[in-house]
Amino acid sequence: MASSSKTSAPAASAPTSSAAPSSASSFRQRPWVRWGAPLLLLAGLAVLPLVGTESFNDTLARIGVFAVAVLGLNVVMGYTGQVSLGQIFFLGLGAYVTAYGVQSGWNIVLVFVLTCLIPAVAGLLVALAAARLGGLAIAMVTIALPIVGVPLAKRLSDFTGGSQGMSARFVEAPEGSGLYDDQWQLYLVLVIGGIVFLLTYFLVRGKYGRAFAIVKGNENVASSMGISPYRYKVLAFTIASLIGGVSGFLYMVVVQYTSPETMSFGHSIELLVAMVIGGAGSIVGSILGGVFYVVVPDITNAIDPSLTALLQGALLLAVLFVLPGGLVSLPRAVMRGLRRSPAGRGSAAPPTTPSSTPGSGTAAEPTETERQGSA
Amino acid sequence: MNRHFGSRQAIGIAAVSALALTLTACGGGADSGRSGDAAEGAPSPGITDDSVTLGITTPLSGATAGPGTCTVAGVTAYFGMKNAEGGIEFGDGKTRTVEIEALDDTYDPQQAAANYDSLKGDVFAMTAGLGTPTNRAWREAAIADEVPQALIMTGDPIFSDTDESPWQLGFVPIYQNEGEAFGELLAGSSAEHKVAILSQNDDFGEGYVEGFKSAIEGADNIEVVQELTYEATDTSVDAQITELANSGADVIFNAMSVTPLTISALQKAQQLNWKPNWFLPSNTSSPTAILEPGGGAAFPGVYSVSFAKAPQSPAFAQDEDVQTYLSALKEYGNYPDPPAFPHCQWSWMVGATLEQAFTEMEEPTRDSFMEALRSIEGFEAPLMLPDTSVTTTEAGQPAVSTVVVQKYNGRGYDTVESFE
Amino acid sequence: MTLLELEDVTASYGPVQVLDGVSLSVPENGAFGILGANGAGKTTTLRAISGAVRTGGRIVFDGKDISGMRPDQVAALGIAHVPEGRGSFGDLTVRENLRVGAYLRKDRKGVDEDIDYCLDLFPNLQDRIRSNASALSGGEQQMLAVARAIMSKPRMLLLDEASLGLAPSTAKNVYDAIRRLRLESGIAMVVVEQNANLAFTLVDSATVLETGRSVLTGTSAELKGMDEIRRAYLGG
Repeated sequence: MASSSKTSAPAASAPTSSAAPSSASSFRQRPWVRWGAPLLLLAGLAVLPLVGTESFNDTLARIGVFAVAVLGLNVVMGYTGQVSLGQIFFLGLGAYVTAYGVQSGWNIVLVFVLTCLIPAVAGLLVALAAARLGGLAIAMVTIALPIVGVPLAKRLSDFTGGSQGMSARFVEAPEGSGLYDDQWQLYLVLVIGGIVFLLTYFLVRGKYGRAFAIVKGNENVASSMGISPYRYKVLAFTIASLIGGVSGFLYMVVVQYTSPETMSFGHSIELLVAMVIGGAGSIVGSILGGVFYVVVPDITNAIDPSLTALLQGALLLAVLFVLPGGLVSLPRAVMRGLRRSPAGRGSAAPPTTPSSTPGSGTAAEPTETERQGSA
Repeated sequence: MNRHFGSRQAIGIAAVSALALTLTACGGGADSGRSGDAAEGAPSPGITDDSVTLGITTPLSGATAGPGTCTVAGVTAYFGMKNAEGGIEFGDGKTRTVEIEALDDTYDPQQAAANYDSLKGDVFAMTAGLGTPTNRAWREAAIADEVPQALIMTGDPIFSDTDESPWQLGFVPIYQNEGEAFGELLAGSSAEHKVAILSQNDDFGEGYVEGFKSAIEGADNIEVVQELTYEATDTSVDAQITELANSGADVIFNAMSVTPLTISALQKAQQLNWKPNWFLPSNTSSPTAILEPGGGAAFPGVYSVSFAKAPQSPAFAQDEDVQTYLSALKEYGNYPDPPAFPHCQWSWMVGATLEQAFTEMEEPTRDSFMEALRSIEGFEAPLMLPDTSVTTTEAGQPAVSTVVVQKYNGRGYDTVESFE
Repeated sequence: MTLLELEDVTASYGPVQVLDGVSLSVPENGAFGILGANGAGKTTTLRAISGAVRTGGRIVFDGKDISGMRPDQVAALGIAHVPEGRGSFGDLTVRENLRVGAYLRKDRKGVDEDIDYCLDLFPNLQDRIRSNASALSGGEQQMLAVARAIMSKPRMLLLDEASLGLAPSTAKNVYDAIRRLRLESGIAMVVVEQNANLAFTLVDSATVLETGRSVLTGTSAELKGMDEIRRAYLGG
């Protein structure tokens, strides 16, 4: 990540290249583009459930569930830089709260609110203790969550149904809507997941997001600017837990069943892998992580069901080697490849190309001489 | 930018809802292909005039891959053999070959549900998959879609409850069946016995104890002198064994599913010089993996239950069933090694039981299949031990509810008729 | 009127005593230098003031005992620490880095004005305003670190080795800008500096540390050219 930003930065900042980006950004600034693009996206998402097959809709809905879970992980790990290996616990907790609430016949809005609150409070309590420790200690504490969660879920069978788990089929398409259940479920996932993504987008773009980035970048500098790393770590962890809880609610909307297996430790690692593969510290990367989490087992199953683990491992290594920044860096990597190849030079944004090499050269040289001179 | 957002979102939502309504109105009727749409009597998905496809979701990777792979291998080998013989003649007079589509769920309920969703449109029925959570995850969906979830490998009683699970049927005995079988044997003993119970504090342990107690109810010669539990996550049961040793019991009913705990329980009792007759569930009674390291031979009797012939046992080495099975497993089941888990044998029996249902099924529909599946009585599937059989007509019972009690002979197990 | 007062401050990293009784006093609008050889405890003194190390003795800022406070609490009182090694955010642009410095401030207009002021103070940054900080030269990064500290509108600036690793002309540019800042804003400063001549262009008075102890304190005029100063830098 760091190396890619280093190489691309001078190109963007070099004075001669300013023409191209400014025309591109003015294109983006035109009102019909700024209004139209999100509208078009919304309209596309709104139509999607109606045109897809049942299995397609179901896959999309599951992608939504895990994209939200990965997004939560990204808040604490990708944006704030704290290693968390316990995200699946909060998904599981949210799923259990939902299942219990539905089975007890509570109002579904109340169930949803509790599904947000209970994991958030649990996350807050864990973070208050763990964030003091710092470094790897946080990772160790979060590892314990799913490891304790599974036997706990088995033990508290009055609330969890023990190892047989709990079913809750509570999302059926409303009478008269003309929708199939899978379409209705996908709409719920799109709306709830969409809101979570939107709120998180504003969170990480705003004041808090900047504080997270500062804490991630350098805790000492954060302190020297009056930002308490401890407080923001706790905040990030709590928000991640809350988002994990929401993903648990969505899990129940789509899967409609939860058991201790839902929160087993292996899935926590898979979520982490999905976050890295999708792209750490990226909203779009979270969605790609969800796609990876859901689609790859289906693909490997289609290739050879007896080799799924092997194929998934190979794919993981392949992606990490080719795209260390995750799938989200694919367009940038492709653009760079095009710019480097002589064929691509003519077609891809001519003004930036010539300036990129000398631009980075002049920026780097004084740094080098100065360091050498002082040493 | 933030300031404008409210109005923009409102417009967006309005536009989208309008669009959605229009599309729903014109698309609703045309959108076919979802389950439940098929007309009465028309063939169900996954069946043609010359073939039928079955789906399996089971763990093929991860910690439970061993038994999971067996659940696919047995039934695949069985139908591979039958297909090579030309196929199976169904009740409607047509001869069909049987294809298997198996997917890996890694013992993850979410993935199992996803596998079911991707299979349900292509397969005639789901079968043979291993695991309680992985089968529970899509049980209700299968009911709603009216897709058979037939002869699955879980001891969870819910799958054998016809009211709760109209499209399901479990294959292997439920926990209660096993406990009950031992209870009956004990109640038939001529002597008086004091019983200590040590059970796992979950549905597994409770099921065994429930079955055992129902069998000894009213038997004057049996007295339960002490009853203790442990957690599946405990690392030691030494304290419980010590306490039970002081109860003076001569029989221990030990409903335990954790291999290392079972071994250490056996060892602790010997250390205390307490040597009762010992009952163990079928999944923690392996002669090589548990009784040898645990020193099972030190006890007057170690009992367990079974319904399948063990292919490794010298007693069945020349058995015709076993030889056919082992060669088919190698040739058609993609399983070259001797089976390490009984699930391979069970899956083979599932194949035979499905064949039984196919030959009785009069229409190529899922309804007709379920009807045929639920009317099998006293079918002695290949590899079954004498005195056990497949019976699907009993309410609340899985396809195999009869098990025979066996006693450890120092190397393997022999079926016993009475408790000595 | 005294703004910052250290009385017999001690500090240790584990068993190693790093500060062994440091005392100094900085008046309002004053600039105070801490001189000494490598390992004399200069940086640790700044870290003690900013709350990054546990200390003994008393540290009083604006009449309030701040020893034992967390770094973010100290920063919130108006003490801005420009740590050695600069620590800017490489993935952020120069402008974003400056905004980071103003994190605790609520006055948007004032922030914009102060960004303009910083760019006026450091014209090099003006040219690189859209560059990622990681692409800046060493001198530019040092300017950015000082500017970022200014953005928090502090009452006191703690400057640690602002000339470290810079070419002499660049170091002079940096110090010229800081001197101008001092004249125009009146921000009080504690300055740690290896290069004594450079330090004396900025500070009114200074102390010389030797193995964690103040051995000599005086005004710039008194200290210039004294033997102890030379000795301190030669490590003798």
